[in-house]
Amino acid sequence: MIAEKSHTAQYIIEKISPSAGKVAFMNDTVLSKALLFLEKNGMPSNKYEDYKYCNVDAILKKEFKNIEQKFNQQVSVDAFKIADTYTLVMLNGHFSSTLSDTISEKGLHLSALSNMPELAKTKLGSIANVESDAFIAMNTAFSADGLYIKIDKNTVLSKPIFILHITAALSECFVNSRVLIDLEEGASASIYEEQILIGESKAFTNYLSEKFIGRNAKLNTCLIQSQSQLGYSVNTSQVALQADAHYDNTTITLNGQLVRNNHNVELLGENAQAHLNGLFTANGTSLIDNHTLMDHRVPHCESNELYKGIINHKGIGVFNGKIFVRKDAQKTNAYQSSKNILLSDDATVNAKPQLEIYANDVKCSHGTSTGKIDENAMFYLNARGIGKESAKKMLLSSFAQEVILKIENPELQEKIDQAFTNQI
Amino acid sequence: MAEQNDILEQHINKDYEWGFTTDIDSDTFAKGLNEEVVKALSKKKNEPEWMLEFRLKAYRHWLTMKEPDHWAHLPYPKINFQDISYYSAPKKKTELKSLDEVDPELLKTFEKLGISLEEQKRLSGVQSNIAVDAVFDSVSVKTTFRETLAEKGIIFCSFSEAVLEYPDLIKKYMGTVVPPTDNYYAALNSAVFSDGSFCYIPKGVRCPMELSTYFRINATGTGQFERTLIVADEGAYVSYLEGCTAPQRDENQLHAAIVEIIAHKDAEVKYSTVQNWYPGDKDGKGGIYNFVTKRGICLEDNSKISWTQVETGSAITWKYPSVILKGNNSVGEFYSVALTNNKQEADTGTKMIHIGKNTRSTIISKGISAGFSNNSYRGLVQIRKGASNARNFSQCDSLLMGDQCGAHTFPYIEIKDKSGIVEHEATTSKIGEDQLFYCKQRGIGMEKAIALIVNGYCKEVLNKLPMEFAVEAQKLLAISLEGSVG
Repeated sequence: MIAEKSHTAQYIIEKISPSAGKVAFMNDTVLSKALLFLEKNGMPSNKYEDYKYCNVDAILKKEFKNIEQKFNQQVSVDAFKIADTYTLVMLNGHFSSTLSDTISEKGLHLSALSNMPELAKTKLGSIANVESDAFIAMNTAFSADGLYIKIDKNTVLSKPIFILHITAALSECFVNSRVLIDLEEGASASIYEEQILIGESKAFTNYLSEKFIGRNAKLNTCLIQSQSQLGYSVNTSQVALQADAHYDNTTITLNGQLVRNNHNVELLGENAQAHLNGLFTANGTSLIDNHTLMDHRVPHCESNELYKGIINHKGIGVFNGKIFVRKDAQKTNAYQSSKNILLSDDATVNAKPQLEIYANDVKCSHGTSTGKIDENAMFYLNARGIGKESAKKMLLSSFAQEVILKIENPELQEKIDQAFTNQI
Repeated sequence: MAEQNDILEQHINKDYEWGFTTDIDSDTFAKGLNEEVVKALSKKKNEPEWMLEFRLKAYRHWLTMKEPDHWAHLPYPKINFQDISYYSAPKKKTELKSLDEVDPELLKTFEKLGISLEEQKRLSGVQSNIAVDAVFDSVSVKTTFRETLAEKGIIFCSFSEAVLEYPDLIKKYMGTVVPPTDNYYAALNSAVFSDGSFCYIPKGVRCPMELSTYFRINATGTGQFERTLIVADEGAYVSYLEGCTAPQRDENQLHAAIVEIIAHKDAEVKYSTVQNWYPGDKDGKGGIYNFVTKRGICLEDNSKISWTQVETGSAITWKYPSVILKGNNSVGEFYSVALTNNKQEADTGTKMIHIGKNTRSTIISKGISAGFSNNSYRGLVQIRKGASNARNFSQCDSLLMGDQCGAHTFPYIEIKDKSGIVEHEATTSKIGEDQLFYCKQRGIGMEKAIALIVNGYCKEVLNKLPMEFAVEAQKLLAISLEGSVG
């Protein structure tokens, strides 16, 4: 018997399982655990504390009644490429070697998840716990394929990698997509990602990435989300850092009807550092929800979070960040900041910054503020002959720069700045 | 380090000062809860029919509710509601006419607690001018200064008396801020509340003295369920104090109270609490479960409600004094110091609901955790659509002493109006080594230095307390913190 609450999950499973096929690369026990979890819990609704401001179950029920899973395989990616990077393409959850650049660089291993080396399979699903979240469970059980990236010990990549995630839908569809990134000790890499949507139909993307960052390794990442107003996505990033490792992420959400980002970072070795930055604009009836967890498990680690949002029309911006300092994680430094600007009377911000701290010798703080455009700044610009509209653009753009400037690659910075200015 | 451990040891072994019991004849209901108990309770108090109806309705609703699952950051065993006696009162011989007729044991008890029931007496060494309503277990023992207050038209009496003497006021206001259906413990309280205080300040009157309720749990196996209702009519002002203690017992006792405040146009109510229920021993045995619903409403324009609390007692505290800012230009304030030690658990904070225009709220919360305790701030700031130019500032600081305790912050911020400005800040840290060093270098001992730093840390809140209470609170903090170490 199917419980009422698992109704949505059941419907999706029925629709996607024929095309998904058997997930051959996943461990059987993990698979059955994932399915059991889904059957028991269904898709998360606002009854779950973690999804209090993001009722995905209701959205799926309302917007995805006719999932047909028809895809367009003929796409061109040239327009999206970033100069001087290796481009890899994920098309509807599959790694497309034909669309991707051919790369031969020493110490860099790339393959589809289904072809990954036997030894590496133990890592798959090891930090993305299928019993922690329905979307992880769904992804684990139904990812047809995915991308595996490994960088050998002490290898420094000569060029950044750019992963283009394309959902090319001909009908309403639900796509599971998965990436595993493994940096061995001392490796260093920059990986940029962009999510786009091609087609005239609504599409739901459930993207999961697992990132392993070895001792003294450094991973710099940036995710650009520009799926248009037809795009619905839940993006889960599970990151594990060993001692002295360094992780940087900047997530730019330009649009999307529903974007939920779960960023869970585990600091497992001393002196590890993690920095998460986010910038989003919510227009129309968008719901943009950034959910972060900084899990400080050992002493002497540092984490920073900075999330900024501009919410217009009937948009809803959500920030839910948790700094979790375990009992032995002394000398932790953790900071979190969330700032939002509301532009219209119908816009909403829900913020839930949390500190959960069990160690005494720590410095942790969070701050959040929400307001409108500063009237004094506006007046200053108006007084100097700058019109209301352009003054507003200037002020919003300067608000956003704090995050945009965190991106290390100038090409990418330029691209985001452009796209962002167009959005506002 | 050795010195630090010694001091910590002392602190942890510190006994609860108010843990004595009073040997007094009392009239106690058998344990258990059913409709008959509610009816008997109502009969005992000679309540009118409408009051019984109110109770029964609440009781029937309570039956349909589920005990809150552990959403709060509080692990505690399930409470057996049938294992509690819902009424206990010192036996009265005849109606009391003057203080001389009050049982001398009772007087002694309150004397010992520093609460003088004889008018114009000293409290905490400061010349006191406070009217007190003393609640012992389930009933109000004595309300002082009633005549003086009556001259100004102020009504200050026990809730039971108010039900009989001012039924119109009670009917008009009771349950309007905290409806009986509000939450599990509010429903339970509405069904079985035994007594409490009622206070009405008429139009344009500034209450000349501090009003105060002192709660004392004495009987074993009972729960205390009282309600307080404060109504400030147009332009009125009142400052209200609440204090509480309980004897030292191995069992956990339940305290589920309701406080409702209504502020009319231009009225101001200041409510201060020093909560010092028995916190349980150092292994977490015994202590009071303090599950309280406190809420005020700024009903009309320019009204103000201010909550100040110093929470040092109770095994478990679950308390969110809130303000609904309905009138335009109304102001809500929340100042809190919560200190937990040993195995105490506190989950406390506030809710500020902005509905009217130009409403302002301030939240200052200072948490101090020591021993094996957990101390959480949980609060909601909500700016509804149409609440233009609302302003909120929240600051939640936590101080950790010792490496076995936890400090948590769970703020919820919901903004639906673009003209609202909301700021929230939270920090968690221990006492700064450099601050300690600075003090020690100037010849201030470890213990004094800590007291100094903690006092400075809490100053913003302690400053908000009325003077008599500030003295008590500072003493209380000093005792509870004696020897704590950063």
